[in-house]
Amino acid sequence: MNGANFVVHALKQHNISQVFGYPGGAIMPLYDALYDGGVDHLLCRHEQGAIMAAIGYARSTGKVGVCIATSGPGATNLITGLADAMMDSIPIVAITGQVASHLIGTDAFQEIDVLGLSLACTKHSFMVQSADQLGPIIEQAFELASSGRPGPVLIDIPKDIQLGDALNFSPIHATKTPNTINKVAINSAREMIENAKKPLLYIGGGVGMAQAVEPLRQFIKKSKIPSVCTLKGIGAVKHSSPYFMGMVGMHGSKASNFAIQECDLLIAIGARFDDRVTGKLDEFAPHAKVIHLDIDAAEIDKLRTVELAMTDDLKQILPLLETTTSIGEWQKHILKMKVDFANRYDHPGDAIYAPAMLRQLAEMQPRDTVICTDVGQHQMWVAQHMFVDRPENHISSSGLGTMGFGIPAAVGAQVARPDDTVIAVSGDGSFMMNVQELGTIKRKKLPVKILLIDNQRLGMVRQWQKLFFDGRYSETILTDNPDFVTLASAFDIPGETIATKSQLQGALSRLLDSKGAYLLHVSISEEENVWPLVPPGAPNDKMMESL
Amino acid sequence: MKSLLIIQGDNSPELLERLLRVVRHRGFAVQNLNAEISKNGQALHLTLTVCSERKISLLTKQLEKIFGITKVATLSQEARVKVSA
Repeated sequence: MNGANFVVHALKQHNISQVFGYPGGAIMPLYDALYDGGVDHLLCRHEQGAIMAAIGYARSTGKVGVCIATSGPGATNLITGLADAMMDSIPIVAITGQVASHLIGTDAFQEIDVLGLSLACTKHSFMVQSADQLGPIIEQAFELASSGRPGPVLIDIPKDIQLGDALNFSPIHATKTPNTINKVAINSAREMIENAKKPLLYIGGGVGMAQAVEPLRQFIKKSKIPSVCTLKGIGAVKHSSPYFMGMVGMHGSKASNFAIQECDLLIAIGARFDDRVTGKLDEFAPHAKVIHLDIDAAEIDKLRTVELAMTDDLKQILPLLETTTSIGEWQKHILKMKVDFANRYDHPGDAIYAPAMLRQLAEMQPRDTVICTDVGQHQMWVAQHMFVDRPENHISSSGLGTMGFGIPAAVGAQVARPDDTVIAVSGDGSFMMNVQELGTIKRKKLPVKILLIDNQRLGMVRQWQKLFFDGRYSETILTDNPDFVTLASAFDIPGETIATKSQLQGALSRLLDSKGAYLLHVSISEEENVWPLVPPGAPNDKMMESL
Repeated sequence: MKSLLIIQGDNSPELLERLLRVVRHRGFAVQNLNAEISKNGQALHLTLTVCSERKISLLTKQLEKIFGITKVATLSQEARVKVSA
């Protein structure tokens, strides 16, 4: 068995049945091993598409996503995806080919120091320097990617090591002893919760990543503490949960942002006080003591100094924190805010109002639909107006904010969950950033539904230009966009364009009922903005709601 | 604020590069650095003086996460002077 065959063997040992990638010179031995190696490979049409498909696969399943690329440009094209996975704590193993060992450091054809390049955007990066390292490194890579705070791990394998003999390697699976939970901290936390008059849960993506959704829901069921979530925390709390107020922060709901500012105890669960959440940090939750539950000790006191922190597995901690509360007045206040500040969907005129359309789609979508978004106004409208009941069903580039994420992420999610409906909601700017992945949809005949919301602008940047740069629309006007329906048809993807409310019901039905891929191209006015908006540098209760 | 860090890790080719990247990115400037490989060649011992307006714990927690680093200890420059005095 050569090194390349060993890699495929090791992937199977880690229950990896699906990988995403793009071949090239320095990774050819591995592609030869994949040819009949028993692991399905999906050819994406760009390495960035491959890693984002792997992210979509990982996000929609909770498993490790694997992608493969060649050296040089293949490896550099992975960098944005690695950074995306790093910011959103997604378990990814990226395998790159490298030029042969004796050529490293000679500026050989397609040689780049990918290990050096990747240091800032991986949890760890390995270069395999000898055949005997291959087995242990692959073992460590999978362990690192998925343990603690998950993240991307890169394995760079020189071509000669792929071609050379592999050495036997039998992983030794050490039995992990669960952490001993600090009982004093648990008791202190319970006491803080029981004594609080206005407690609030601030739910982040860590809940889903820790697969702690059920313990969280049990905790909420018992304590009845109101909650808000981050963009990546969407889905952890059921949308219908009575005291759940939706997303908090720059484009969060008014109820969420006011609740944060009023609460006297903030319990941050798998969340990291990101600037898009906190607004002006000094004035975030100004009356609150904070309990911070996060697996990553480096997040504790990073931005907000907290009264109590625990860095254990959320699955272990949350059941121990279950307690009842007596916060009737606070709950009433929350319910009133939910009513007073509820989203409104009445909108004058015939033009399609994107928030209302997304609400309508959410009401029509089948159970367990996966929504993948790109980045921009449409991404925030999805977060505000659609509802999702599992973190695995809302896949968005949250921390890095990577335009071009939506289509390849939907490819990965659809491959992972072939029986579920997968909808990619995109904007006209983002769609063009990885449009080549329509070729992947065609190749695999994936039934991905694409909802393309087109305002012929880079809408979010335009909104900020309108609000903060005197309406100087520098390079955000895209009136020269291609004919998107014709473009999709070149990839055998049928579609249609709509522009009026009366067309919506039928068009959304055709999108959802389509047996294969479908593009619904929706023209909207460039004047529509995302509200509310916490302006940069302002506290969260100073929201703008119109021009 | 200056801080002295005593760091141990596995002797791998890129550990120093990885560590210095984190130091810079997290807002700390290196003022002094000494690196030695252990006699058996397995470990790397570093002493590092860094300077920043930020709390040193923000850096040490990030350094502790680096795969291959086995120990991070701090001694603030101020405390060290007092001890030696």
